[in-house]
Amino acid sequence: MASTACFVIVSKNDIPIYDAEVGSAPKKEDQAYQHQFILHAALDVVQDLAWTTNAMSLKSVDRFNELVVSVYVTAGHTRFMLLHDTRTEDGIKSFFQEVHELYIKIFLNPLYLPGSRITSSHFDTKVRALARKYL
Amino acid sequence: MANYLAQFQTIKSSCDRVVIAVEDVSDLWLNVRQSFEQRLPVKKACLNNKARNPVFVENLPAEFIQTTDSRLRSRFPQEQYLFWFREPYATVVLVTCEDLDEFKTILKPRLKLIVQNDEREWFIVFVSKAHPGNDQATKMAKKVYARLETDFNTKRRERCCKFDLHGTDADFWDDFDSKMVDCIRNTLDRRVQFYEEENRKLSEQRFTPIWNFCNFFILKESLAFMFEVTNLHEDSLREYDELELCYSESVNLPGKHREFGGLDTGDDQAALLNPGFKALTQIIQDDVFREFEFRQYIFACQAKLLFKLSRPVEVAARGYAFVVGFSKTLALHENALPFCFREVWVITACLGLIKSTSAQYDNGIVAIDSEKEFHRLQGDLYSLCRVKFMRLAYLIGYGVEIEKSPVNSASLSMLSWPKPATWPSIPPDSSAEIMTKEKITLQAKPREKLFNIQRKPLPLEPSFLLREANRRRAFLSVGNMSELYDSVDGSGLDAHSKLPSNKSSSNLMIRTMSGPATSETSLPVDRPMRLSEIHVAAEHALKQTISDPDFMTSLSSPEEFENRYMELTKGAADNYHRSWWKRHGVVLDGEIAAIFFKHGNYDLAAKSYEKVCALYSAEGWEELLADVLPDLAECQKILNDEAGYLASCVKLLSLESSLFSSKERQAFQSEVVRLAHSEMKHPVPLDVSSLITFAGNPAPPLELCDGDPGTLSVAVWSGFPDDIALESLSLRLSASSSADEGLKAIKSSDARVLVPGRNIITFAIPPQKPGSYVLGALTGQIGKLSFRSHGFSQDGPVDTDEFMSFEKPTRPVLKVRKPRALVDITPAVSSALLMNELQWIGLIVKPIDYSLKGGILHIDAGAELKIEESQMIEIESYRSNGEQSGPTDASKALSSSSEPGRVEKVPIENGKIKLPDWASDVTTLVWFPVRAIDDTIARGTSPASPLKHSIVDGMRMIALKLEFGAFHNQVFERTIAVHFTNPFHVSTRVVDKCNDGTLLLQVILHSEVKATLHVKDVSLDLQAGFEHLGNGDGRPTSSLFPLVIAPSSRAGILFVIRLSGTKDLDELENSDSMMTIKYGISGDRTTGAHSPVPVKPDDSEELLFKISLKLKRPVLDPCLAVGFLPFSTDCLRVGQLVNMKWRVERLKDLDEASLPDDEILYQVDANPQNWMVAGRKCGHISFSKAQGSRIEIAVTCVPLVSGYVHPPQLGLPDVGEANVSCNPAGPHLVCVLPPTLSTSYCIPA
Repeated sequence: MASTACFVIVSKNDIPIYDAEVGSAPKKEDQAYQHQFILHAALDVVQDLAWTTNAMSLKSVDRFNELVVSVYVTAGHTRFMLLHDTRTEDGIKSFFQEVHELYIKIFLNPLYLPGSRITSSHFDTKVRALARKYL
Repeated sequence: MANYLAQFQTIKSSCDRVVIAVEDVSDLWLNVRQSFEQRLPVKKACLNNKARNPVFVENLPAEFIQTTDSRLRSRFPQEQYLFWFREPYATVVLVTCEDLDEFKTILKPRLKLIVQNDEREWFIVFVSKAHPGNDQATKMAKKVYARLETDFNTKRRERCCKFDLHGTDADFWDDFDSKMVDCIRNTLDRRVQFYEEENRKLSEQRFTPIWNFCNFFILKESLAFMFEVTNLHEDSLREYDELELCYSESVNLPGKHREFGGLDTGDDQAALLNPGFKALTQIIQDDVFREFEFRQYIFACQAKLLFKLSRPVEVAARGYAFVVGFSKTLALHENALPFCFREVWVITACLGLIKSTSAQYDNGIVAIDSEKEFHRLQGDLYSLCRVKFMRLAYLIGYGVEIEKSPVNSASLSMLSWPKPATWPSIPPDSSAEIMTKEKITLQAKPREKLFNIQRKPLPLEPSFLLREANRRRAFLSVGNMSELYDSVDGSGLDAHSKLPSNKSSSNLMIRTMSGPATSETSLPVDRPMRLSEIHVAAEHALKQTISDPDFMTSLSSPEEFENRYMELTKGAADNYHRSWWKRHGVVLDGEIAAIFFKHGNYDLAAKSYEKVCALYSAEGWEELLADVLPDLAECQKILNDEAGYLASCVKLLSLESSLFSSKERQAFQSEVVRLAHSEMKHPVPLDVSSLITFAGNPAPPLELCDGDPGTLSVAVWSGFPDDIALESLSLRLSASSSADEGLKAIKSSDARVLVPGRNIITFAIPPQKPGSYVLGALTGQIGKLSFRSHGFSQDGPVDTDEFMSFEKPTRPVLKVRKPRALVDITPAVSSALLMNELQWIGLIVKPIDYSLKGGILHIDAGAELKIEESQMIEIESYRSNGEQSGPTDASKALSSSSEPGRVEKVPIENGKIKLPDWASDVTTLVWFPVRAIDDTIARGTSPASPLKHSIVDGMRMIALKLEFGAFHNQVFERTIAVHFTNPFHVSTRVVDKCNDGTLLLQVILHSEVKATLHVKDVSLDLQAGFEHLGNGDGRPTSSLFPLVIAPSSRAGILFVIRLSGTKDLDELENSDSMMTIKYGISGDRTTGAHSPVPVKPDDSEELLFKISLKLKRPVLDPCLAVGFLPFSTDCLRVGQLVNMKWRVERLKDLDEASLPDDEILYQVDANPQNWMVAGRKCGHISFSKAQGSRIEIAVTCVPLVSGYVHPPQLGLPDVGEANVSCNPAGPHLVCVLPPTLSTSYCIPA
């Protein structure tokens, strides 16, 4: 498992609708800011890259010192962004795909307003489980 | 071969163009040189690139050199071979000859000798010196040239051209150019082939021990250089790329230990754009180049070519990658390099790249994409440079100047410290500097944030510098933190227990560690350095490293540092903005703002902070927003921008509550409240949509009828951490059909304190127009500040106001129905009631899904109708027939819900009845007593005087007005008609006439009401001219009383009367008989007439009904008989004239004086609507008095309507009715047919 990993789902309006620190390293208060900051800045890169490829998985789009940002863009232009320090391309890809699956389930929920924050604890649990499995 | 390197370098620098040798056979060069050299550089040339594809190059630089020139002569063959690229690419043989023999004997052999060398590409220029005027000479020259052509031209290639010294023609130059280019191309092809072959050979040997990179390099670069000279830059670039690749492979081969380089003075300044920075000979070592210099050299060559190709964007892209990659390489060799060499190199490299690429870039116009790309790269370079610069500054103690923002923290805290072999130690005699540094550190206070926001400052260092530096010092073997602590303050506290407790700031901690400044400068060997000492040591080491004085200046003082820092940040931000990377750009704007802020330039700072906040806010990255928003608020506070400051405070409050402590949030609120209650210069409405949100109840919308007020309760969520007192709170509703918010705000009368979280506020809604309404906006006042919120929330406070931008189904909270009947009032009984008696009138008051609670019924009786107010009104619940006959279940359910048959008596005052509460939802029957007044005396009818009865006579109107609804706002008005009638209709007829003159008068009583009538007594008071037979009490002959008359039936009573002997006809006609009927009635008020309401308890139930009857004396002695003669035609038609005829016959003599002469007056009565009488309607006609005389009276009439109509009647006014016998006796009808169809409009076929 990656020691540092921050996973964020950004809606098509660039609003983070879900975020989770899924790394194994103990949480540091100040790191949350940095991770948010790095992921936010990486949106700039994603906006350029997303339209250059048909693939949903953009792989690693940005690098910040030792940390890498991997991005997966859904058809609805929701972006799954993962800030991580280890490089298991396959694992990350599987992680994204399965999270996409979960996300679609959330999306199909008639009580979920698309674009609003995902507050489902079930989703959270599942995402963390997936992170443990793949990252 | 490495020995040739120096020579190669020299040759390369001296020879920068294509050399064309001039073999001046006939000493002509001086004559033609000028015109030849004017052709250079070669304007256009078609050369073959490495892949043998033709490439057009322009302005190919070239130089003519005579073969006799020393530059071409003094070369050894070996050299020639090695540096073949500098050899002439073409040989121009200049000849002239005016004599054919001379040509044959001298020139030709000589030329043959010259051109026999196959290696050379040559062509002959025959220069004709002949003057154009001199025909002989011209002819001769032509002959010689023709000879020359035959001798030296081949079929495949023409090698000769002719140049006229006097009068040049354009054709020659084209010919000359093409021949020259042919030669150059051929030479180039051959040489490329040669070099390629050599390179291939060398490449094959690459993994053999004898392989030498230097040789490979010389060959490769020769080729590259040759391409460069011939303007084939693309090919040249490719060669360099290959060279670089090859070098990377060879340099990474394990085994050999090589010097890295970078230890010379000035090496810290990156030379990645200056290929001539160092001679190649300087950087070679054991046939291999030093990596540090060589990589930069290769990159410089590539950059040069790319610039020549006008591709500055690619330079920037490659440059950035190179800097990043090379920086890593430098990190590998860091312990051998000077302190912070890597950082310094990166900074200079970035700056150099930025400078050169932007200088080159300005020239071209490029596509938008590559422009974006370019600026992005520039931005990347700037920010890379900026980070490294900050790192250096931090090392020498300017850390306090650096804003601890997420961007700086993320950049610096993940960037490892420099790893020199040993950390620089303190230079001697630096105590003053240490003191100064210490002072700076001590003086620097962490900025007091507004609202007392206590947040752990973000780190700017990957690990504590103090520990890192001391650990790397040569003589401290162990860099254990606890040791450091112990040795500094000697308290012996465990570091781990102490560290976390000291959370305030790293600066603070460092201060405690450095302790009071001890003046000792010469450190004992075992004492770790203090932070200020580390700074001083680093500064000194940097001074050693940095060779650029300008660069060093920018680190010389905090001010200088700040200037450079600002410059870099601005550059990065600007470029990122131009590359549309707004997030990167805006973040750096925040950094710029921080500096502005520090310098009190609050205006600019606020502007930049606003940009940052707007971005984070728009994209909902709240944690980042929470970091920068307090700064903006502080700026706004200082600038006295109350509106902005309030908005910021509200925004701060509306951020996720976990981002700030409750104390901080309370501080925000108190600021809002303080400002709200203060005198604001420009009070502006505050938008608190994100802070105070509201929603209707989850229940279905409140439904109101048109015109009704209502009470709407709205859930209001307050995001304030504490209770907040509001001066007022009002709600705007907006009609969902129309967009305008033209509705008045509805004020709440509720408590004005909002508790944190959910509040239920009720609003009294005045009557609204029909339609459905959604919540519009919530407005209110805190102190003097008016605020406004558009924030809906479905079931809780929304996270951000941007949430609103989503299509959200707005649920109506209020529906006002269109006007409809809310109540119906109908009379309960449709049949007639008794006239002149106190009767109950029933009204069915039926609420239609609407409560009549508190309703007041106004009853306004019309003329000739009086409500008996002394009586109580009876109200009872009503069930219609349908309900009663309904299924038992339903009736049970009904009966359980409302008490069946409940009756209540209520008073009536001034025609007003207050409906009881129980009657508000159920259909009720309201009974109230009225008396219809009719003063006229009823008249009976007889066959002689038929009843002209109008139903309107018994009609009485009652105007009803029901006021109901919560505020009596609903009004129902209706006028109902009630039918009153007499109990009987009486008609009389003479049943029989006896011989003795007695008449049997039958009086027929028709019951007019739907009730059983009990006739108890009848007496008939006869008019004059008649008298009762017998006892004369006016009673009927038979005494059958009480006589019961069922509803709608009749009864007859027989009187025996006789004519009394009076002669006065007038008297007879003017008086009536009067019949008095005593009767009782037993009826139900629910069906119709009933016994009158007893006003007094002792009222008898016996009722009296008087009716006048007009009796006519029978025509006993008719004097005249009038007969209606039949019509002459069978049928009458409308519009057809018809003669009406009557025959009048005198039956007996009249001896009375009433008829003075033998004339008689007649009069025709006709209904003018039915008949038109043509001619006189009345007149006198002579009529003999003799018995039996007869006359006919004829009147012409036109019937006007079809159907059965009464014909005109003939009357004799002068003769009393009693004396006239008519046939037919009463009114009769004739049939009138419709008019015949008119054919006048028919068109024959």
